[in-house]
Amino acid sequence: MKGTGILNMSFLLKGIFASSVFILIFISIVSYKHATSLTASSDALQHSYNVRNELEQVISFIKDAETGQRGYLLSHDSSMLAPYLNARDKVNKSMYSLSILAKGKPLQEANLDTLYNLITERFAYMNLLLNASGKISMNDELLHRNLMKEQEVMNKIRMRVDNMMSLEQQFLSDRKEQFKNEMSFTPLFTFLLLIFSVMVFIFAYLRLNSQVTVLRNSNEALQLSAEQINHAEHIGAFSTWRWNSKNHEIEYSDNYAALLETGVDRKQIPFRDIIEKVHPDDRAAVIAYNQTPGSRNSAPLLYRIYRSDGDLRYFSSVGKTVHTLNGSAIYLGITSDITEEYKKNLSLQERNLELEQTNKELASFNYVASHDLQEPLRIIQTYISRIQEKEKHNLSESASEYFERIRSSANRMQVLISDLLMFSRTNKAEKVFEPADLNELLAQARQDLSALIEEKKAVIDCDQLPELSVIPYQIKQLFLNLIGNSLKYAREGVSPKIEIRKRALTDEECPQFRRNPRLKYTCISVIDNGLGFEQQFAENIFVLFKRLHQKNEYPGTGIGLSICKKIAEIHSGFIYAEGFTNQGSKFHIILPEASA
Amino acid sequence: MQKEAIHVLLADDDVDDRLFFKEAFEEIKIKTNVQIVKDGMELMKELNRPDAKLPHILFLDLNMPRKTGMECLKEIKENDKFNDIAIAIYSTSASEQDIEQTFVNGANVYIKKPNDFGTLKKILTEIITVNWQYHTSGLDRSNFLLSL
Repeated sequence: MKGTGILNMSFLLKGIFASSVFILIFISIVSYKHATSLTASSDALQHSYNVRNELEQVISFIKDAETGQRGYLLSHDSSMLAPYLNARDKVNKSMYSLSILAKGKPLQEANLDTLYNLITERFAYMNLLLNASGKISMNDELLHRNLMKEQEVMNKIRMRVDNMMSLEQQFLSDRKEQFKNEMSFTPLFTFLLLIFSVMVFIFAYLRLNSQVTVLRNSNEALQLSAEQINHAEHIGAFSTWRWNSKNHEIEYSDNYAALLETGVDRKQIPFRDIIEKVHPDDRAAVIAYNQTPGSRNSAPLLYRIYRSDGDLRYFSSVGKTVHTLNGSAIYLGITSDITEEYKKNLSLQERNLELEQTNKELASFNYVASHDLQEPLRIIQTYISRIQEKEKHNLSESASEYFERIRSSANRMQVLISDLLMFSRTNKAEKVFEPADLNELLAQARQDLSALIEEKKAVIDCDQLPELSVIPYQIKQLFLNLIGNSLKYAREGVSPKIEIRKRALTDEECPQFRRNPRLKYTCISVIDNGLGFEQQFAENIFVLFKRLHQKNEYPGTGIGLSICKKIAEIHSGFIYAEGFTNQGSKFHIILPEASA
Repeated sequence: MQKEAIHVLLADDDVDDRLFFKEAFEEIKIKTNVQIVKDGMELMKELNRPDAKLPHILFLDLNMPRKTGMECLKEIKENDKFNDIAIAIYSTSASEQDIEQTFVNGANVYIKKPNDFGTLKKILTEIITVNWQYHTSGLDRSNFLLSL
């Protein structure tokens, strides 16, 4: 989330920058245009003023000339002629200025031409009068006519000048109109634009401010996480690293120095220093890994390295390609000191080997017991049966009895061997737990014992038993042994009555039996009315080869209940017994409802 | 009574077992022709002889030197020539593993050697009176291990 926030901000910043630049350029263009327009208007005004000025001067010069001429005509004093003589030049000068000012304005140029002709005409008349001044009198017809003509031309000149002035006025007002048109909307527009840009800047400022908060928070979180990593590295004895793609070297975190116990608080250990400490046999692998950790993605590298105190440590490096936000691939990893685990692992492996060896020996012992021991015994038994059948009549009575004793001992030995074998085969290895109906298993056990049950006229009363996840044949064996036990140790003259009861173990009850307090347990009890036993032997009876009775009184090997105990334990359960001498015994098997 | 003596072949390395086997058949009142070999190698040599008279029933001990009963069983079952021989495993051990493997490999019945001569006679009588031609069609894991 933080990543995308920062990404968003960079987009925002770019947007704000672009719009600001756009707005500034726009404002500049508008202002420039405005200024240009203003200058043009001011120029036009100046121009207009100049034109009027010149025109007025022209009129005034002509008047000066006229005054000079009139004075001379009246006084014939030639000094009066000076203004007239100057006027012609001055008029010409002004006309020249006007012609420059009028350039580019055909209407004014035409007017100016006309004006020039009129002025020339005017001066021609004045000249005419001056030339004739000696010959004409004040009331001369010619004078009068000429003055009239002059008056007429002068009027024309005035008209023309007025015309030109009003034309100039027209130009000026046109120009004003144009300026007004051009500039009328600009101030409003500029103002709006300004408002808009101010808003953009305020918005940008607010966003930036909030992003800065986000950044500061991210930064704090980052610092915290860096601190956590440092801490974790220190406690977990590992160092994180990052592959530098520029110099093709792994850059380790500070803790690498601590792993090597250099005692130097250096930020980085150069690779050439590290490689010197690596065990010579592992150097090539470490160098190869350093150059291209990415190509070995996730395959760990194990190498030995000498710590500063000379201790040889086992380091494991594992790396991974990580894709950054902008899509480029970087290689990150950790290197940890796994010396302790490695050594533990080694000793575990050794122990495993030993155990495997022991198991093999046990298995071969099993085979010896099952086959090699039974075979000679079976041969002995068969020969005895042969003698007892075939040579019966050739034997003395005592010999017959001895053979019977031999047969009995051999049979007992056979039972012992097969029971012992059964005990050693009762284990968890390779046995599969599967859901099984205990009623079914109990029925099978009863079926196997049916002959004995019938012989002893036993009554068996069973509760409905649950379905549990068990090793079926072992549970069947358990029932076989317990019911067999009850039948075997029945009281003389009392027909055996065996009850098989089931109940759920309550939470308060027997917490010592609960291997896992979260599981529910079922208690199955086998209760008989047989010989029973003294309660003090209640634990002894489960010990291998422990018997409470003389072996000639009751058959048995002292293994059956040991097997029961083993089966209960394999099923994460428990078995215990209660004995009541000459009243009966109770065997309780506690099994978890969901076996591990 | 049968018209033809039942041809029985035993492969067993134990001299006592061979003796009991022979004597048991002598006492059984059924006409049989008992042939005995001492191990798996000898058994295969005998069966593969060109003029061999193949047995009706082969009793095969599992634990034999040179070539075990299991190896013989596999070899026999691979060869169509021996399709008509009924094979009875005749072994001291009755381990689940052995029973399972011989069943899977196509033996007809599994006999655990008894420790009583009378029982032996009963078992052998049972085996040779079964009509294996019919019996094999209903071959079943549950009655594979012979129990009397």
